[in-house]
Amino acid sequence: MKKPFAALAGAATALALALTGCSGTVAQPSPTATEIVPRQISWLLSRPADGSVITIVKKLADEYAATHPGFSLNLITTPDRPSYLQKLQTLAAANQLPDLFDTDATPFTQKLVKQGKLVDVQRMLTDLGLYDKYRPLALDYQRFDDGGLYMVPFEFELEYFWYNKALFEKAGVSVPKTLDDIVSLCKPLRDSGVIPISVDGQDGWPLLRYMSYQPFRIAGPDYIDKLKKGEAKMGDEVGSKAVQWMADLGSNKCFQDGFSSQGYTDARDLFTSGKSAMYQIGTWELASLTNPEVPAEVRDNTDFFTLPTTEGAVTADNEYTVVSGIGMAVNQQTYDPLMKDFLKFVLENYSERLAASGHLTPMKGYEPTIPAGSSELYKRALAGVDDLGEKIAFPWDTKLDPTTNTLMQQELTLLVQGDSQPATFEQKIDASIAENAPKFFG
Amino acid sequence: MLPGRSRTSVLVFLVPPLLLYAVAVALPILQSLVLSFFSWDGVTDLQPVGLANYVKMFTADPIFWKAFANTMIYLAVCLFFQLGVSLFVANLLSYAGRGKEVAKTLYLLPAIISTVAIAFLFQRIYSYEPPGLINQILTTVGLGDLARPWLSEVNTVLVAVSAPEGWRFTGLYMLILYAAILAVPKELEEAARLDGASTWQVFAHVRFPYIRPVWVTTMIMAATYSLRGFDIPYLLTNGGPGQASELLTTYMFKTAFRSTDFGYASTIAVFIVIECIVAVGLILLLLRRGTDKS
Repeated sequence: MKKPFAALAGAATALALALTGCSGTVAQPSPTATEIVPRQISWLLSRPADGSVITIVKKLADEYAATHPGFSLNLITTPDRPSYLQKLQTLAAANQLPDLFDTDATPFTQKLVKQGKLVDVQRMLTDLGLYDKYRPLALDYQRFDDGGLYMVPFEFELEYFWYNKALFEKAGVSVPKTLDDIVSLCKPLRDSGVIPISVDGQDGWPLLRYMSYQPFRIAGPDYIDKLKKGEAKMGDEVGSKAVQWMADLGSNKCFQDGFSSQGYTDARDLFTSGKSAMYQIGTWELASLTNPEVPAEVRDNTDFFTLPTTEGAVTADNEYTVVSGIGMAVNQQTYDPLMKDFLKFVLENYSERLAASGHLTPMKGYEPTIPAGSSELYKRALAGVDDLGEKIAFPWDTKLDPTTNTLMQQELTLLVQGDSQPATFEQKIDASIAENAPKFFG
Repeated sequence: MLPGRSRTSVLVFLVPPLLLYAVAVALPILQSLVLSFFSWDGVTDLQPVGLANYVKMFTADPIFWKAFANTMIYLAVCLFFQLGVSLFVANLLSYAGRGKEVAKTLYLLPAIISTVAIAFLFQRIYSYEPPGLINQILTTVGLGDLARPWLSEVNTVLVAVSAPEGWRFTGLYMLILYAAILAVPKELEEAARLDGASTWQVFAHVRFPYIRPVWVTTMIMAATYSLRGFDIPYLLTNGGPGQASELLTTYMFKTAFRSTDFGYASTIAVFIVIECIVAVGLILLLLRRGTDKS
């Protein structure tokens, strides 16, 4: 009698496990389903918790939930980028990607695309009737080399060099016309007792921005696409020029002493406290550069210039680094009528609200509201958007294979500090690209 | 032989923790071992590569060896604090009168502060611009020339990131050693003193041999914890500048989560496990030799 009972119990357990297993897996939306069934949607983000994007999306989700009982948006943010990427990669490895998640157009994301895990955003936006409303540059920033678009932009920011007019005057220097001029400004500025440029050296990306400038001016935006695949070499003429320029910035003491252990806010604070004369950052920091808490002698003297040019530059003065921030990818597996409807609602209303919060928008036709009490610089800086060229100086950290990216950031610090020579730098980077690029671009 | 009933109770009490250990510790180590023979980016299929990861690690990866050398220096600095300084302080405490309890608590305090707070604290202490505590003191005492960005210079950064980890647990090991010193029979020490032994002689010939087993246990704990050290260096410098403060653990982390090379990262993980086992083996050997001698 015992045995059949045991078999029955076993079968029941197996059935129970199978049932719970089914309910535990991600619901597979039927491709033909058209009915909107409200449920919870999760969005894994890497954005500041109190920033405009999260604040606005939260508000929009509440409004959507009011008309769709049973719907809720679960926002999980990890602003620290390395920690975020760790989380994302772990989820991807476990095949547990959330409905929506933030990512750049990196080689890793491209692998997810090749696996068919992401919704084709170009098709989705066209389908929602929104594609043509976006600024082409905002979408271009999110594209892969092959033109594929798999992320939705939520920001649009211009990157400038901010400088302190009073400190420039005191040192007897003027706004640099060329990239080489920046190097020659450093000595007079140092002699006048100020730090020429404050930089966040703790995070690798700001130095990598500097690294991208010479090649963008001399060889255009395609250079990095060739370099990352090993078709161009760091030791070539263009690469060497960039490497030498970085070494010159270091040997002329352009950056603050100990920059490599100083973080994002340290660099900004050096500028807003009047200790440094220049600071490269995007318009997302406009509020902190122009707000009334910044000492008047700094705030009233802050101005900006765009990326200086070089002799024989192939890109125009009005072409520089423009970013539309980390993008939002949509999980193909869970993309259902509800997601489509919710995204349409959010994207249709988002840009208007973002403009009202004083930011440029990824969509065209929205005028940012300048916050009360901010200086006239705010308006002038944002006006740059009306005179943008067609090419973008892409940040290299989204382009290079991840191993070379990490290595280049580390080696740049050593190069600028004078702990490594240009030739060593070039040789290490070329070797890393030769070894690692085939894994991602082969 | 235990009677049947107590054998059952032993099993009841021992099996659950053993199972937990097997699932939470042994299984992941085994998984890492398996994964180390593959190339895997976390997204596409596993590619078997045989011993290629090990060959690369031992013969073609200078960063691995740099990280290994750094880990050894990190270990040495941590052991200096956790075995040397803590033993010294524990000894001093045993002679202290009033205020002993307050001193013990103060020494123990860093062990209970969160790692992130410690990292922030030391970032400020080492800061150059604006000057942190160390650079301020140096300038005040007229040694301004020695002031430097401790975390940015390749020659100082490794010791600078190791010291907080060593300092942090000095109090904890001090407490363990202090308890051991308290257990040293007073009559032995008194007899030695009556025979004219100095304080140093009492320590070297009476106290230390007596507390040696505890000191070795402390050494095992301190060594294995230090070999696994990750958080403070990661938070302070993230292995930089360059690879000047890269440890095996931070390198493994970057290999896994930045380079998305989980196979190679597992190979480094296996190396760390073996390294810890070898370290413990060496220490136990040391203990046995010491015991044989005495």
